[in-house]
Amino acid sequence: MSELEDVLREWLPSQRWYGGKGRVVTAVRVEHEERLSGGEDVRHTLLRVTDEDGQTERYQVLLGHRSGEVEQRLRNAVVGEVDGRTLYDAAHDPEAVGTLLQLLAEGRSLSRLSFTSTAELDPTLSPRVMGAEQSNTSVVYGEDYILKLFRRIQPGLNPDLELTRALAEGGSPYVAAPLGWLEGEVDGQTTTLALLQAFQHNSTEGWAMATASVRDLFAEADLHADEVGGDFAAESERLGQATAEVHLLLREVLPSETADADESARTGRQLHERLDAAIAVAPDLEPHAAALRAAYDQLATRSDPVPVQRIHGDYHLGQVLRTEHGWVLLDFEGEPARSLAERTALMSPLRDVAGMLRSYDYAARHLLAERGGDSQLAYRANEWAERNRQAFCDGYARAAGTDPRDEAVLLRAFELDKAVYEVVYEVRNRPAWLPIPMGSIERLASR
Amino acid sequence: MSTPEYEHGELVSLEESRDPLWFKRAVFYEVLIRGFADSNGDGTGDIRGLTEKLDYLQWLGVDCVWLLPIYESPLRDGGYDISDFMKVLPEFGDLGDFVHLVDEAHKRGMRIIADLVMNHSSDQHPWFQASRSDPDGPYGDYYVWSDSDEPYSEARIIFVDTEKSNWTWDPVREQFYWHRFFSHQPDLNYENPAVQSEMIDVLKFWLDLGIDGFRLDAVPYLFEELGHNGENHPKTHEFLKRVRREVDALYPDRVMLCEANQWPDDVVEYFGEDGDECQMAFHFPLMPRLFMAVRRESRYPISEILATTPAIPKNCQWGIFLRNHDELTLEMVTDDERDYMYAEYAKDPRMKSNVGIARRLAPLLENSRDQIELFTGLLLSLPGSPVLYYGDEIGMGDNIYLGDRDGVRTPMQWSADRNAGFSKADPQQLYLPTILDPVYGYQALNVESQMRSSSSLLHWTRKMLAVRKQHPVFGMGDYQELGTSNPSVLAFVREFGDDKVLCVNNLSRFPQPVELDLRRFEGMVPVELTGLVHFPKVGELPYLLSLPGHGFMWFGLQPGDHP
Repeated sequence: MSELEDVLREWLPSQRWYGGKGRVVTAVRVEHEERLSGGEDVRHTLLRVTDEDGQTERYQVLLGHRSGEVEQRLRNAVVGEVDGRTLYDAAHDPEAVGTLLQLLAEGRSLSRLSFTSTAELDPTLSPRVMGAEQSNTSVVYGEDYILKLFRRIQPGLNPDLELTRALAEGGSPYVAAPLGWLEGEVDGQTTTLALLQAFQHNSTEGWAMATASVRDLFAEADLHADEVGGDFAAESERLGQATAEVHLLLREVLPSETADADESARTGRQLHERLDAAIAVAPDLEPHAAALRAAYDQLATRSDPVPVQRIHGDYHLGQVLRTEHGWVLLDFEGEPARSLAERTALMSPLRDVAGMLRSYDYAARHLLAERGGDSQLAYRANEWAERNRQAFCDGYARAAGTDPRDEAVLLRAFELDKAVYEVVYEVRNRPAWLPIPMGSIERLASR
Repeated sequence: MSTPEYEHGELVSLEESRDPLWFKRAVFYEVLIRGFADSNGDGTGDIRGLTEKLDYLQWLGVDCVWLLPIYESPLRDGGYDISDFMKVLPEFGDLGDFVHLVDEAHKRGMRIIADLVMNHSSDQHPWFQASRSDPDGPYGDYYVWSDSDEPYSEARIIFVDTEKSNWTWDPVREQFYWHRFFSHQPDLNYENPAVQSEMIDVLKFWLDLGIDGFRLDAVPYLFEELGHNGENHPKTHEFLKRVRREVDALYPDRVMLCEANQWPDDVVEYFGEDGDECQMAFHFPLMPRLFMAVRRESRYPISEILATTPAIPKNCQWGIFLRNHDELTLEMVTDDERDYMYAEYAKDPRMKSNVGIARRLAPLLENSRDQIELFTGLLLSLPGSPVLYYGDEIGMGDNIYLGDRDGVRTPMQWSADRNAGFSKADPQQLYLPTILDPVYGYQALNVESQMRSSSSLLHWTRKMLAVRKQHPVFGMGDYQELGTSNPSVLAFVREFGDDKVLCVNNLSRFPQPVELDLRRFEGMVPVELTGLVHFPKVGELPYLLSLPGHGFMWFGLQPGDHP
């Protein structure tokens, strides 16, 4: 490995967007490097990263090269020193990310990179790097655009671009229209590297809205969820409606089909396999395994055809924004840990419904996790979750014409699968929150 | 009986400061003459009583007093049934009293506007009596008569509870007459040029007496046509433009406030294309949304309505309010499938009963001083001219047993003396009883006692009006909401040239942090407007503030001293 690759090997694991949490990076190879502009030396760099388990992933980094020290505000972005030059993560450098916008606006092509815009862009807007996220880094330009720089790269068209674009072109008011994107060649495939969208000015994550409502409920000693001022049910109903309309449009403009009984059996097997893997990580699941498997078997043996289509795939309250004009859905990438093939497979839209229903449970109970056990509060949290889950389904049913609650077997199996996934996640990342999905499994499994 | 002493403001003549846009900066104060002050001890407030209280209103910081109908009337609809457009209701006083009131207000730099009903008169009006008895006489065509009750069937019936039809049979003339409101309020016939001239003469009559403007009641209904629903007819707009032209030609700084109880998209038509109709109109949906936002601890009910409110001509202004004399039914804003409002309110019966029905501000907010201050702060800082309702500046209560409307029309509480200092009459003689309950009763809650306590709501309100007055931006400035990741915080910037004000409001009962993107103001220093405390300079990073539950702050953004 070169000196540069050595420095990157040390630096990568501490980045929030590094996917191999807890695993040591054994090798980093620079697959491709391309200078972005004539000014500062900023290079678009594609890395191939191998970890101790032998897994390889690709990551995208904008590397700034400076002969001297970097200015104060970039100190935290420094990667290391190579050949007496300072290397830094230029995604945090306003000048470098300004260049990206410039290139998008001009629709430029470099040797392996191509910049596309679908609208007239103002390249002079000043950039602001938002906090790092799990799988990408976001930059806001003025109050008009947001650029999502994907960090972990899988070869091919990113479903976020694919679905958002299809929805926007289909006239959906529930997505932020794509304004441009960056593509490059990876493994011989045209691969999405970044996505520029209209920035949702004055918006808030659904999670923040929902937890404000829960906080309000907890502050009332003797009022029920439908009596307190912070009631969220009307918002939930509108969110359900927005979700259903997005599903309907996706079904119309992208492939969909009706899966037969074999498909149900396959899905059932898949859920069983995922449970096997989860129990290996979280033995606490063992006592519930029988109930979980019974629920999965119910799904596997149903003979009714199941409509499948493209879906969001990682749907929860953190993926929706309340704007001045209603709800907007974000991040159609699917679960970041899964392969591209898995993420683009046709699935039942009820998986998204189940994801959101699970999210209501989380919103209701995460304050409990912070406060410790309190049966009175737990009762009220349950009441809040139930009220909003029903409202979401009401809104969904009204717009979709079919009520997700009528598909109780599917919905329950998908919710349980989601909860199992959450258990694994909490065991690894936030043990204090483990009681949230465990409690849900207990409740759901005993139904 | 003691009368509180108000420090006298400077006596200024309005003649020297003719400003056609005064209404954009003004704080309005709605007064019920009947309920404000009784000068002659008959148990009913009167114009002289109000005149005696002008010092108080000047001290408070009021710019314009808005009066409900003052005209001669059989009072079958709260004075909105006028039987003589050029006379004052005798129990309120006479024209001399009115001229005196206007003169005294002007001396104090204040203005007076009053309600005027354009659409109809009382059936007791001599015009109507002449019209029904002498169809061929000069007044025969002053009203809308028909042999049939069929025409204009597209026009909805407004008072569905009491009226079966918009037509009523008159046994004297043996014809039907048209009325959009009660059957004792026949609509004037605006197709008749004589009626148009007559009503413009009515306006000029009052303008000559010095009145500063009108709230024109029920303007959408002036013209009817077959096949038209009788609202917002193009001829109505034509007529309003004519009224405006004639008023402006002779009286350049008078204001016309249109009463059109409709959605902002529709109301803006009454500003005219170039601001050549009414200068002001009430923004009705904002008020219930303020209450909803605080109840939901979410700014979106407010953000949404302001984001969808159309721009209005530069010389026009919204009137905004928290409470007024009327019940503001939600039907007015939900009629048109406004499913958002419907969904929110249908799910929350408490909101429905609270906002729809006339309650005063303090009882509506369960007498929470923090919330009263937050709501008043929003009223004074959101785009539009604020309209205060008499008594709300001291946190007066209501009497729900008097019924929807009268409950908020009880006598103003001036002092702990008999009848709250409102009247020297026997208590039994009062037009409505004073409030006596232990929380809101006048013995404890009155102007006099609040004047004595510098921490009172009254002093606080006065202070805020004074701050507002120092910054024309509140009335004149652009409005831009700052997005924040905290849904419970409503933050916005008002800008008018160099006058820039940042307002941050915590709609939640809990303390909240907020990070604001103030890069546009990098290097400037936020100075809190009530205490002039300098806050840290705005840098390139998000600006962090913490607000107490239901807290709000106003900052002037000043250029920083150092580069």
